[in-house]
Amino acid sequence: MTIPSIDWLGALLALALLAAIPLVFGSTYTIGVLTVALCYGIWAASWDFMSGLTGRENFGHSLFIGAGAYTAGFLNVNFGASPWWSLVAAPLVAVLFSVIIGFPTLRLRGPYFALAMLSGSAVMLNLTIIFSVYTGGQDGLNGLFPILDSVLAYYYLTLAFLAASVVLLRLLANSSWGVILRAIRGDEATCQAAGINVTFYKIASLMISAAIAGLGGALYAHYQLQVGPDLFAVILSINIIIMVYVGGMGSIYGPVGGAILLNALTESLRGLSEYRLWVYTLVLMIILFFLPQGLIAPLWRRVRSALS
Amino acid sequence: MSALLQVSGLNKHFGGLHAVKNVAFALQPGSITGVLGPNGAGKTTMFNLLTGFIPADSGTVLFDGRSLVGLAPHQIVNCGLARTFQLARPFAGMSAVENVEVACLAPRVRHAGKPRERAHALLGHVGLGDKAELDADVLPYGDLRRLEIARALATNPKLLLLDEPFAGLGASEIGPLAELIRSLHRSEGLTILIIEHKLREFMQLVHDVIAMDFGEVVAVGTPAEIVRHPRVIEAYLGTTPIDLALERDHAGLA
Repeated sequence: MTIPSIDWLGALLALALLAAIPLVFGSTYTIGVLTVALCYGIWAASWDFMSGLTGRENFGHSLFIGAGAYTAGFLNVNFGASPWWSLVAAPLVAVLFSVIIGFPTLRLRGPYFALAMLSGSAVMLNLTIIFSVYTGGQDGLNGLFPILDSVLAYYYLTLAFLAASVVLLRLLANSSWGVILRAIRGDEATCQAAGINVTFYKIASLMISAAIAGLGGALYAHYQLQVGPDLFAVILSINIIIMVYVGGMGSIYGPVGGAILLNALTESLRGLSEYRLWVYTLVLMIILFFLPQGLIAPLWRRVRSALS
Repeated sequence: MSALLQVSGLNKHFGGLHAVKNVAFALQPGSITGVLGPNGAGKTTMFNLLTGFIPADSGTVLFDGRSLVGLAPHQIVNCGLARTFQLARPFAGMSAVENVEVACLAPRVRHAGKPRERAHALLGHVGLGDKAELDADVLPYGDLRRLEIARALATNPKLLLLDEPFAGLGASEIGPLAELIRSLHRSEGLTILIIEHKLREFMQLVHDVIAMDFGEVVAVGTPAEIVRHPRVIEAYLGTTPIDLALERDHAGLA
């Protein structure tokens, strides 16, 4: 079999598995945990598309997530708009933020982009507190409407958006666009000498990354039916980066696997109560020490080369 | 015949250092011209000014009837002026053919053929056909130079700027590379501007030489004229023993 056909087969199997899990373990609680894990998958894949491929680390992905989630909250709670509108407006607002941060900083070399993303998300977190009249402050916005009434149906909607995002990002990453992004990671000056408008590709990739992260933020908001300042938190950005590393950077599907794996790990360690963070951190350190390329993507490449 | 590249009054300061001082020259289409000068003479800085990697303080650069002043590096490449770097910097983690494919995706040549196929053809052209699938970062130095040239050629340049293509190469690699550059000039009519230190190969390769020192053009002429030029001898060749060595070198190729 050719490598692309094995990849498609693997993707279909993974999709079928994710679709089947709630049919076997059907508790509302499990489905809820899985829905959140899928949202993390969307965030990790979108982070990986820009930062994993170009190597320009984004330390404030929560900026796009929070922007998308709060857009959903405002539209829904303050203006009473149909929750479906959230899925249209959230990506647009997130893209607006990506342009504001990316346009001035991605034309520069150095750490400016990473720092601007980090401080951008921190500033937004503080603004939600300062303008608590509109944002609800620490309590956030409550009482969002569900998009779909059934928890199971909403899980499948989230899964559909995740699958569509991964397919879109993978197709882009495997196209000439992806070749250029990986070249930017290699050396920007050489890339310019090859006649490539490096700034354009970086900003456009960040916009795509932001749109999908913002969509994930809105999906998350309409699952929780609540948005809070935590969605702008730096720890959320860091957790996403860890998921990308565990999954395998630059592969798009690896980070999705990393997100699901680490969410499942967090849940399964719930019984350990206060020791949970210790064990979680230990497992992470072991994975990253022994598998610096990550777990999911290298594993899949092995399976693939065994089959082809 | 009108010049392909017309440079005049080009200046660049780095703080108190006048790195490029009133540089002016013209390149005729189809010529191979060398830039000679000791370290720190401003040769690479001049390349960086011409290719837009560093903005010039003042001066005009007319290429193919069009001003390049103020254009970004990628825009200049898409006008048909390509360069290689003194230190080859391949895209790590990508195969040799992917390295060249990137340049085949430049707007100027995007529709000149299937990028991947063009990249394979270009690698064959520079003698790396059998190394297309190797990771670029494992290639030896000499192959990296060829890869740089293939990448530059991929953008279909009218003028190719080579920054010390022979630096760090062994004697056995220099001859074939010089022959490759010569064949590019012969078969494609490519105009070439080349910075080099390796005198023997350099002087055999070029038609004209622009000699620089302390940021200035101190002499322009044929290789034979340049090696006898008093300003060049004073600035670049220095004391008598080296002077004699060059005479001997030159006699050997005449």
